[in-house]
Amino acid sequence: MSTSPLLLAMLGDARLPSGGHTQSAGLEPALRAGLTPAGVPAYLRSRLRTVTRVEAGTAVVARAVAAGGGDLAEVEAAWAARTPSPALRANGRRLGRGYLRVLQTLWPGPVDARARTWSRPVVLGLLAHRAALAPADVARLVGYDDVQTATAALLKLEPQDPLLTAAWVNGLLPDIDEMAAQVARLRTPEQIPAHGAPLIERWAETHDTATERLFSA
Amino acid sequence: MPENTTATAPVRAMRLGVAGPVGTGKSSLIATLCRALAGELRLGVITNDIYTDEDARFLRSAGVLDPERIRPVETGACPHTAIRDDVTANLLAAEDMEADFGPLDLVVIESGGDNLTATFSPALVDAQLFVLDVAGGGDVVRKGGPGIARADLLVINKTDLGPYVGVDVARMAREGREAREGSPVVALSRHDEASVRTLTDWVRDALTRYRTGNHAPVDPGPMAPHFHADQDAGDAGDAHPHTHAHGPTHPDGTTDADGTADAHHGHAPANAGHGA
Repeated sequence: MSTSPLLLAMLGDARLPSGGHTQSAGLEPALRAGLTPAGVPAYLRSRLRTVTRVEAGTAVVARAVAAGGGDLAEVEAAWAARTPSPALRANGRRLGRGYLRVLQTLWPGPVDARARTWSRPVVLGLLAHRAALAPADVARLVGYDDVQTATAALLKLEPQDPLLTAAWVNGLLPDIDEMAAQVARLRTPEQIPAHGAPLIERWAETHDTATERLFSA
Repeated sequence: MPENTTATAPVRAMRLGVAGPVGTGKSSLIATLCRALAGELRLGVITNDIYTDEDARFLRSAGVLDPERIRPVETGACPHTAIRDDVTANLLAAEDMEADFGPLDLVVIESGGDNLTATFSPALVDAQLFVLDVAGGGDVVRKGGPGIARADLLVINKTDLGPYVGVDVARMAREGREAREGSPVVALSRHDEASVRTLTDWVRDALTRYRTGNHAPVDPGPMAPHFHADQDAGDAGDAHPHTHAHGPTHPDGTTDADGTADAHHGHAPANAGHGA
């Protein structure tokens, strides 16, 4: 795979117009439930071991299934089965539509009519296949996006020195790489990890009905 | 994916942005529009509140439209981004609204009351109003900015409050027209039926132009207007509309003398509503 590392940089850049600025990676409800800003790096490590690993694994498998001409609806079903919060499923599918716009504009080609209902990791997997992004890189992208999303949201919710949060992200890069390495070789839907994070899922449900919120999820 | 081109008669509803600072009466103006137009047009409304869904709740409680047709979008504390730099969330909401209730004639998108510089991207809306109010001070029109100078329509709202806040409404409206070099200004009070009619007539006009393919979305732009002292200035790459010393009207539909790509400026059709 000779894809430029700049492709990963571009896809991981917050300036990519995919609707990412509406997201907090669950941080907004987590802070409301009592998480302190100092606890954010640990919160992010927990996500990398649970919900984010599920997302990354799904993206890697979707990429492999797309490459093999398989049915991505099966990957979507596997992701949904591992995402018990309806709010997180709805949010993931909204984000999927945002990435579908990116995909269809930057890497145009025929897309399954059901793609509009697919979640972000499934669409990202398809995008990775089209754009020739390596499996480990699409997993890195999911992990990096999650970490950057939460730390950027923290600056809105509980402002810190932005260099402090940048240092947190830098400190988490090995964790992201480790997570990516663990899912990079997955190929089939049943191999997608199924780690739950019950508090994150419960907070997502609470957040979904909150009338005062900055972020969608 | 050309989301928002209108070279030929469009198939989707016109998207009308309503921008302007907090508290100038954007939600109330939308309620007024819904009340006046719901009988003749199929409407949907998308709100962009910063912290709450207050605007959506206000509009739902106003009883002017089926509550299902009023939907809030979260903007991640970036109301500016949501209508300009990354319009994804609003575009998806507009698509959903049409998928659920279509066909619609008009989808109104209310910005989350940002500052004077926040205007809608033409990638999201076909036309936009910029709303000021007399209670914010008569001098605000003189502060200028893209919305005041170059939105498709400038609304000076709450004119009935003029006497109570010491603002000369006629003068404020005149200065608004001066700031816009004659582009339309509506001095509005929801208690003044004639002013409401002027507003709704403008919306009907804009919709007609949109449907006949005679309307090109115009970006009011983040920049100060520039003038063509040198007509050969190489600025064909600019995405914002020019403001010309001779006024922006091109009644004969000709392009600018400098021959720059006027397709995305859309002067002639966009300004057909002069004098409203």
